[in-house]
Amino acid sequence: MEPLTVPGTLDSLTIIGQYVNAAAAAAGLDKKIAYRLRLAVDEIATNIIVHGYEEAGRAGDVLVRAALDQATLTITLEDTAIPYDPRNRLRPEHIDRPIEDRPIGGLGVYLTTESVDRFEYEYVGNRNRNIIIMNRPKGAGSPATG
Amino acid sequence: MIEIIVETIQQVIVVKPAGEIDASSAAVVQQKVLPLSVPGCKIILDMSGVAYMSSAGLRMLLSVYRQISGNKGRIVLVGLSEELKDTMSMTGFLDFFTVHDLLEAGLQSFS
Repeated sequence: MEPLTVPGTLDSLTIIGQYVNAAAAAAGLDKKIAYRLRLAVDEIATNIIVHGYEEAGRAGDVLVRAALDQATLTITLEDTAIPYDPRNRLRPEHIDRPIEDRPIGGLGVYLTTESVDRFEYEYVGNRNRNIIIMNRPKGAGSPATG
Repeated sequence: MIEIIVETIQQVIVVKPAGEIDASSAAVVQQKVLPLSVPGCKIILDMSGVAYMSSAGLRMLLSVYRQISGNKGRIVLVGLSEELKDTMSMTGFLDFFTVHDLLEAGLQSFS
């Protein structure tokens, strides 16, 4: 699949979702796994747009790339906001508190890491790179196209 | 894009969003529901038209819940898909809300 580049605004979430759904279909992911992948990518993209760009008063794009191999589908998100590792935001202790007492927020990264097979982050060439990996079902591996 | 239908059935306000609830559309749903949460209100959020919801939807539900319970009202969720239930279950939201599969059961819970 061709990579997708969209402006870093909340309006772009829909088209990012469509791109991820198409990638999940190409990878042969079943419905629940495809949903979780879309959720994970949406949460990370939302954080990039809201915290990386809008709240910081910056403008920039979000690049989304899907790569398939025999065993996995990898979705990579890149942005030019300030360096930010979402894994630092993960606060599982909040999940154990009654929801009335929880701070609003911080759920997105939790959902991401709980939903996917692997989540990685790196900062390369002045770009944040969030990497989300889903295992493909056994036998779905067509020749790599990504 | 999200469309929201509001109707009153047996003195219960039924709010039915149709579309996807992400960080962009969650605010639209919230703006629709908050003005309805008057003292003692009875509100059903019929989610059967929502095939996708991110954590922005969870935050919206929490804000709506706080406003409604602050006004001594009640909110019931109906029509949640398996996927939405999974997300709510992972985050502890499912046990927190009164949930029914069918709208009829939600309405009965108020009577």
